[in-house]
This record gives sequence, structure tokens and C-alpha cells, in this order.
Amino acid sequence: MLRYKRYMISFFLLLLLSMSHSAFAQPDARSIIQSSIDYYRDKSSYSVAEMVIHRPDWERTMKMKVWTQGVDKSLVRIIAPKKDIGNGTLVLGDDMWSYTPKINRVIKLPSSMSHQGWMGSDFSNNDVAKADDLVDKFTHTLVDTQKHEGMDLYIIESVPHEDAPVVWGKEIIKVREDLLMIEQEFYDQDNQLVKKLTSSDIKLMSGKLTVSTQRMQKADKPKEWTEFRLFEAEYAVTVPKNMFTLSNLRNPRR
Amino acid sequence: MGTTFRLAWRNIWRHPRRTILTIIAIGFGCALLVFSIGLQLGQYDLMIANSVKIFEGLVQVQKKGYLEDSKIRTSIPGVQKLADKIRTETGLTDVSARANGFALVSSETRTYGTMIIGVDPQYEDKVSIIPGLVKEGRYLSALDAQELVIGKSLAKNMKISLGDDVTIMGNGRDGSIAATILPVVGIFESGTKDLDRNVIEIPLGTFQDVFSMGDHGHSIVLYHRDANLVNRIQQNAQSLINDKEDLVVLRWDQLQPGLKEAIELDYSSGWFMYIVLVAIIVFSIMNTFLMSVMERTREFGILLALGYKAFNIGKLVMLEATLLTIVAVLIGTAIGVGVNYYFYVYGLTLTGMEEIANMYNMPSTITPQISFNSVFIGPAIIFIATIISALYPAMRIRLLEPVEAMRKI
Amino acid sequence: MNGLPLLFSLASRNLWRNHRRTLVILFAIILGVWAMIVMAAFMRGISDKMFHDGIQNLTSHIQIHESKYLDDPVINNSISVDSTFKEVIDNNPQIVKWTTRIRVPAVVASEQDTAGLTLVGINPETEAEMSFLKSSIIEGRYLTGVEDKGVIIGKKLAEKLETRVGKRIVLMSQDKANQVADRGFRIVGLFDAETDAMEKSVLFLSIDTAKSLLKVDEEISEIAIEISDINNADQIVKQLKKSFPELDIKPWYEIEPLLKMITDLYNSVGIIWHLIVFLAMGFGIINTLLMAVFERTHEFGLFQALGLKPAFILIQVWLEAIMLLVAGLLVGNLVSWLTVLATGDGIDMAKFAEGMQMAGMGNVIPFLIVSEDLIVANLVVIILGLLTGLYPAWRASRLVPADAITRV
Repeated sequence: MLRYKRYMISFFLLLLLSMSHSAFAQPDARSIIQSSIDYYRDKSSYSVAEMVIHRPDWERTMKMKVWTQGVDKSLVRIIAPKKDIGNGTLVLGDDMWSYTPKINRVIKLPSSMSHQGWMGSDFSNNDVAKADDLVDKFTHTLVDTQKHEGMDLYIIESVPHEDAPVVWGKEIIKVREDLLMIEQEFYDQDNQLVKKLTSSDIKLMSGKLTVSTQRMQKADKPKEWTEFRLFEAEYAVTVPKNMFTLSNLRNPRR
Repeated sequence: MGTTFRLAWRNIWRHPRRTILTIIAIGFGCALLVFSIGLQLGQYDLMIANSVKIFEGLVQVQKKGYLEDSKIRTSIPGVQKLADKIRTETGLTDVSARANGFALVSSETRTYGTMIIGVDPQYEDKVSIIPGLVKEGRYLSALDAQELVIGKSLAKNMKISLGDDVTIMGNGRDGSIAATILPVVGIFESGTKDLDRNVIEIPLGTFQDVFSMGDHGHSIVLYHRDANLVNRIQQNAQSLINDKEDLVVLRWDQLQPGLKEAIELDYSSGWFMYIVLVAIIVFSIMNTFLMSVMERTREFGILLALGYKAFNIGKLVMLEATLLTIVAVLIGTAIGVGVNYYFYVYGLTLTGMEEIANMYNMPSTITPQISFNSVFIGPAIIFIATIISALYPAMRIRLLEPVEAMRKI
Repeated sequence: MNGLPLLFSLASRNLWRNHRRTLVILFAIILGVWAMIVMAAFMRGISDKMFHDGIQNLTSHIQIHESKYLDDPVINNSISVDSTFKEVIDNNPQIVKWTTRIRVPAVVASEQDTAGLTLVGINPETEAEMSFLKSSIIEGRYLTGVEDKGVIIGKKLAEKLETRVGKRIVLMSQDKANQVADRGFRIVGLFDAETDAMEKSVLFLSIDTAKSLLKVDEEISEIAIEISDINNADQIVKQLKKSFPELDIKPWYEIEPLLKMITDLYNSVGIIWHLIVFLAMGFGIINTLLMAVFERTHEFGLFQALGLKPAFILIQVWLEAIMLLVAGLLVGNLVSWLTVLATGDGIDMAKFAEGMQMAGMGNVIPFLIVSEDLIVANLVVIILGLLTGLYPAWRASRLVPADAITRV
């Protein structure tokens, strides 16, 4: 609760600040995005989640533990099914490493694979590793305000900078007043929707309002999607110093 | 009829030198065409046989849709059993099963994304030359061996040598992580950039295990040295799989369309030359027929005056031309076939062709094809063209006025 | 020999005596000459095209790299072009053009797809004169200069990536420190190349933009040189090696050995074709001339009896052969020239598009008449023609007057 309050306070302060500078009482789109990401990532986090990859003729479910710190450090450890126990992914800044106990090796993902699906899912490696690019590499504009479950829903249009290493033409991001990112749409440069990340099942987890289900869906393949479901989540946890290291990726201590 | 025949024959030999020269001209044309076409067709046969033997095979069985979009799930169930069935029931021995997957491949210093091919070490050398092109080390030994062979350029780029470990990480058929580490037991050099730079082969059993394939695979490759049998082989394979779900049998020209067109291109330009050659020969010798008619104007005049029909004289003249041509064609064709046969046994090497031969994956010795096509088409065309050219002088006989004709010297 | 004009007029009259026969053999000669020249032009068109396409496909005449570059084409294996370097190259009178390039492997991504390719940073001005790129732009535009931040890709690559001129793509490569270098670039132009390899797997941008992406200052991957006479490539390579012993300097035939082989092959095949065509014509010529001679046995016998030397008879008959050949050559050359003119830019082999791709060529093959080929074709006909004409002429001169006159 305390943490939640802190974010709301800093958010409203920013709001106040931006309001005093503009004729319209409009919140600053960039700060909304920044705050939303900060809210989502928190200072650090630990969660247990499940990822379901769904195709017309089969479905696969993986259970995993996720640690994050700040916006650029993440460690994922697969705990189910049996075949995949121990597989892990480490993200440090722009780099991503993959580990599998089957061969006890760590491989750094070359940039040529950044658009391939992470773990075979509809989330690309880029989606996983570079979520924080959203703030700096784009120009954000608040285009509309709607309502969602009684609260204000900010519709933000984000256009990548001219030389940003982003393939999209634009993204439409919907952030609620309480900083939860409800939807993220990815458009190509002809304004055609390519894929969409939809959030649902908002609930309290460890005292913080969290989006517990996220679905990534390609626009032209409605029968194919990947869903990410949180079971438990803890925020601002103390993370051991060597958590986000290659050696830890290889030899888990937790 | 017998008299006309003898008459025609004697008329031909009235001017032996002229007749012989004409026979030589026509014969030369026939021999040349038989030899060239035989050579060309033999060249194409070899081109196809060798191109398909590199890797793609003459015919492949695949799951429908795999050729267009090679997803790991688009697989053939029980691939080895099916390959065995094809082997036993068609009598074709050069049959091998394969599975393919895209994976991240790492050496100590480099990581690349490439194709991993699971092959059956027992049969792969019958459908591909890669096993025979291992320049360092050896080829794969057993279906479930923990081994790997790699193309030379790829090995160089990844700074790998014999004995080094290669880490493979990809996605299995069921979506799980497919990972393994295998030692390099052989490095192959096919001379084809595409293969040397992109291909890693591991035993099929190991592949199926690592990539969670079960007993599935992605293709069954069939090979035969005689590319002309492709349709029959395709049908045979098709009949064996008719009860299975959704499998297709593809021919080499569907697997490698560029090759067929390159051959057609070459063949067409060859024919341009042949036609021109035939035309030249025909005009060359047309004079013979023309002259042999013109100089007998007086003779024909007398015959006409005696009541012999112009039509029959025409027939006589045509018979002469036909007999002469038949002799020439037979001799020429025999020589052409003889030369072809000689090279059939000993092989023909064209200097300067060797490096270009490599580009098209041919050895530098070619064996000419001795078949209906190569032996008949050329001479047949020459025969027809020659007879047609003899028609003109023959027709002119009808215009002869007996009295005027007799006055000619 | 003041009898020459007489012999000439005799020869031409004799030819016209039996105009049908003369016309037929003339036609054969014209056809033969046409076949030789047109076929040679066709093959020359192919080999020349392959050669020039190859050279213009960034090969140029000479290429210079850092010694380890060809084995491992990364930005770390690069050359620094300093003023001494420029001096040496500028001072060599045989070097007419040169340009610098950055050439490294990279990955390009659009919204829909990714592709591995080679990134080539060029100096748009100097590159325009040395390679195919500027004249092959089919959509959009060429690069304006080294400050241009746009990229140019092949049409087929744009199709694969489902992108177009005006859209942005992301390029990823490795910089000097082995870190990922990635950035967004806008496509300003599409090019059409003769080979799929070029059209699908090469991306062009300004060399300065490439340097900034890869975080280098003066280093470049390769220097391409064009010299005044391609046959001196070897010699100039040696000269350059003396000045820069630590660099890898290669002439075009070591970079693309296939080019040389194809040119050689077509030369030898051409000669064989000429000979075959001549043989085909040859029999007809001999036959016709012999017939003409034997028809006039009586005449020749008379000439000799009247005192005309056998040599004159030989020359006269020979002249007939020569005039025939010359007439055939003239018309044949003319018709060939017209044919080639009529084909315009060349014939379109689109039907065999994929086969042409395999051979490394585009679809349109121009017919190229090269003076060398013309001379060879005409020489072959003249020389062999003279030889073949000699036999009948000789036989004519050997006639014994008494026999000849009495012959009917």
C-alpha cells in the first residue's frame, strides 16, 4: 500500500507540474509512460508466472520464476514442465543470454535473433529485453482520455524517433490513471495493426494493484496467441547482489 | 518400280564426285548433329544427376506445405519406417530419411543461426555427395551417435576445428528447448557456397531426440543416376504413400526450378544453332539437285516427247534425291553414333570446361547420350529438309516444254 | 597483268550465266556468314555481359583489404586511409578511379521479417562511376552524398521484408568494440540487380553513416580501384604491393575467377562454331564451283587451245569463287548488322529467368558486334573460301585441251 501511494504521489506531483505549464490540464504523455513502466517494474520484483503458447493444433504451458531489478535487469528460471526445468534467460541492459541445463551452457543471443520469439512464444526477444526502450526511443502524445472501470484511461500515441532501432510505425498505449498499462498496440508503418498486448485480470498482489494476465496476439493470426499469467508477485524485494550474473544463470542459488 | 529404282541409283552415280561431295555434306551434318545432341543431352543428364546428388535428391517425399514454409511441426510421422517401406517395395536402394531444424549454433567465440539436418548415416551417402566430401575427419557413424559434421566455410567463420564442441540450441517440435553439445567429427567441403556456409549434419536419431521429434522427420530423399526415370520413381513413391495423410512427392525440378530452366535455356540456344546449320547445309547442296535436273533438260525433253509423264520424271528425280540422302544419313548417323559410343566408353573432357563444370556441379568428363532422341532427331530433320529442298528442282520439271527442252545442250 | 579486267568481267558473266545456281550458293554463303556473325555477337553479348556485370557488381579491377578481412569480414579488420595512401594511389597514372567502402555483415528488420545481409557503406559520388548501383535505381532515389542518412536496398529484399521506399527499417551489426550497433534508417531507394544475390542480400548506405553506426573514424573495409587497361591488372597489383606490403591486394580474376573462365570458354567455343559453319558451307561451295567448271570443260579446252595459259584459267575460276565469296560476305555482313540492330537492347530471355539467374545473368542479352569477332568471321570465310575455290580452279586449269574440246 505504501509503495502504491508513493507512486501515486509522484505521479500527481508530475501532473501538477505539467498542469502548471500548459493551458490544458493534460498530463504529460511521456511521464505517464515512464511512470507506468516504473510502476510495473518497481524497484525490484519477484514473481511466479505461467506462460501459455496457444496454436490451432497444440498448446504449451511453462511455469517460471522471474526476478527483476530496475528496468534493465531480469532473470527468468523455468520450473515446469519437467523437460524444461532449469532453463533460464538473463537480460542485462541490451544483452540477452540463454541457459539450458541440458548442456550446461550459456549462449548470448546474437542480434539476428532479436525478432524471433522468446522460448517459441509470440513475445519477441526484443519485447522481453527492451521493454524500457519505449520511453526514450519514442515521442509520446496524449491523444485521448477514455474510461476504464471507472477510471481515466489515457490513450497515448508513441512514434519512434527517426533513427531509433525500432521497426514499428507507431504504438498505441493505453495507461490507466492508476498507472496500469491496459493495452499496447503495435502498428506497422502503414498504420496496420501487427500485434497487440492486452492486459486483464487486475488484482491486488502483495498489496499492489497488478495486471495478472497479459496476452500477446498477432493481428492476422487470431488462433495463435501467448498468454502470460502471474500467480504471485512481490515488489521491492531485496535481491542478492549476484542474482543477475552469468554464473547465477548457470548455477542457481535460489 | 524396280526399273525406276535402278535408274535412280545409276543416275546418282553418273557424277560420282558430285554425289560423293553431297553425301559428305549431308553425312557431315548428320554426324555433327548426332554427336552434338548426344553430347548436349548427356551433359544435361549429368548436370541433373550431379546437381540432385549434392543434396536435394531426384525426388523427395515431404509433408504437404513443407516446401513453402518449413515449420518444424510440418513433419512426416514414422519417417524411417516409411523410408524402409519405399526401399523394400520399390527396389530403389538410394533412399534416405531426414529431419531439419533451425537453431542457434555456438562455438567458443561465435554464435550463428543455421540449419541443422538430421541424417541417416547408413543411407545418406547414397543420396548426397556430402558424406563423400568430408575432407577432414570422417562422416557420421551411427543413427544415435553424438556427433556432428559441418561445412568448411561455416567452420572457418566459427573458428572451429576437428574435435571442438559445438553447442546447439533451438526449439523442439513440441516447443520445448532443444539443446545439445556435439563434437565435430568431420568437416566437409562441397564447393557449393550455400552448403558449406549453412549446413550442419547430425545423426537422425540424435536429432529426433534433441528436437523432441518422436519418430517424425521432414523428408525422405530418393536418388537415381538416370534422371530420365524421375517420373516413374515419383509414381512408385506416390503409390506407396497414397494411404497416408497429406504427404507429397516432389520432383527435382520442383525442388530446384532454376536448374530445369538453365537446361531449357541451353537446349533452346543449341537448337537455334542446329537449325541454322541445317539450313546452310541444305542450301549448300540444293545446287546439286538443281544441277542434276538442269543438266538433263535435254534428256527429260526427249522423255517427255516420248510420252513419259512429267510427274513420273519428278518422281524419278525425287527418288534419286531420297536414295542419295538415305545413304548419306545412314553413313553420317553411323559415324555420329560411333563417335558417341567411343566417348560413351572413354568419356569426353573439354578443356577450359573444368572450372565451369564445377559451377554446374559436373565432372569434367561427359558421356554422350545414345537414345532415340539423340540419334533420330537430328538426322530426321536433315532428311526432311533435304527432301524438301529437292522438291523445288523436281517441280520445275513440270514447266519443261519438250521441244524447247530437247534443243538445250 | 592487263588481262585482269577481262578476267573480272568474264568471271562475273560466268556467274550470271546460271543465275539460279549462283543465287542458291550465294544464299548459302550469306546464311553462313550471318550465322557466324550473329552467333558470335550473341555469345559475345553473353560473355561480355557476364564480365561487365561481374566487374560492376562491386568487383572492379583491383580490391584492397586488410590482411585478415577476407577470412573474417568484420569492421575490426579494417584499413586506415591516410594521406600517404591517397598520394600513392593518386600518383599512379594507370589508376583512373577509386573508391572506399565499408563492407560488413548485418541484419535488417522490418515490421514483418528479418534478413541477414551485407551492409555496404559507399561514397556515392565515386561509387556511381564504378558500379551498377546508381543506374539501377528503379524506385526512389540514389544517395545524395556522404551526409545522406538513407539506405538503398534491392527490390527483392524489400518484397521479402514487406517494406517500401519511405519506410524505416532497423539495421543491426557489430561495432568496433564487438557490441551491438543498431539504428533505424529510412529507405530512400530500391535497386534492381542482375543477380538475386545482390538484390536480396546487400544494403547500401553512405560510408559516413556506416562509420557512425559502427563507431569508427577513419577505418574502412575495402578499396576498389579501376585502372585504364584491365590487362595490366597484374602489374599494378605488384606495384601496389610494394607500397603496401601489409595489405591484401587482389586483381579481379582472383576475386571472381569465374569471370575469366567464362570469357575464355566463349572465345574457344566461338572459333569452333565458325569452323563448323564453314565446313557446312564449304561442301556446297566446292560442289557448285566444280559443277560450274565441268559444265564449261569444252570452253576451257577451247581457251587453252587458243593459247590462254592454264594459270589464267586458274585465276579466272578462282575469281569466280572470290567474287561469290565477296558478294556473300558483303550481303551477309549487312544482314547481320541489320539483325543486330533490330534486336535493339537485346533479346529478352525472361522465359528462362530462373535459369539465367543460375548462370549469374539478368534477363536481357544484348547482341554485341565486336570488331575482333567481325574480322575473325570474315577472315575465316575468305581464307577457307580461297582454299576451297582453289581446288576447282586448279582442276579447270589442268584440263588437257584435246580431251576438253572433244568432251560434250
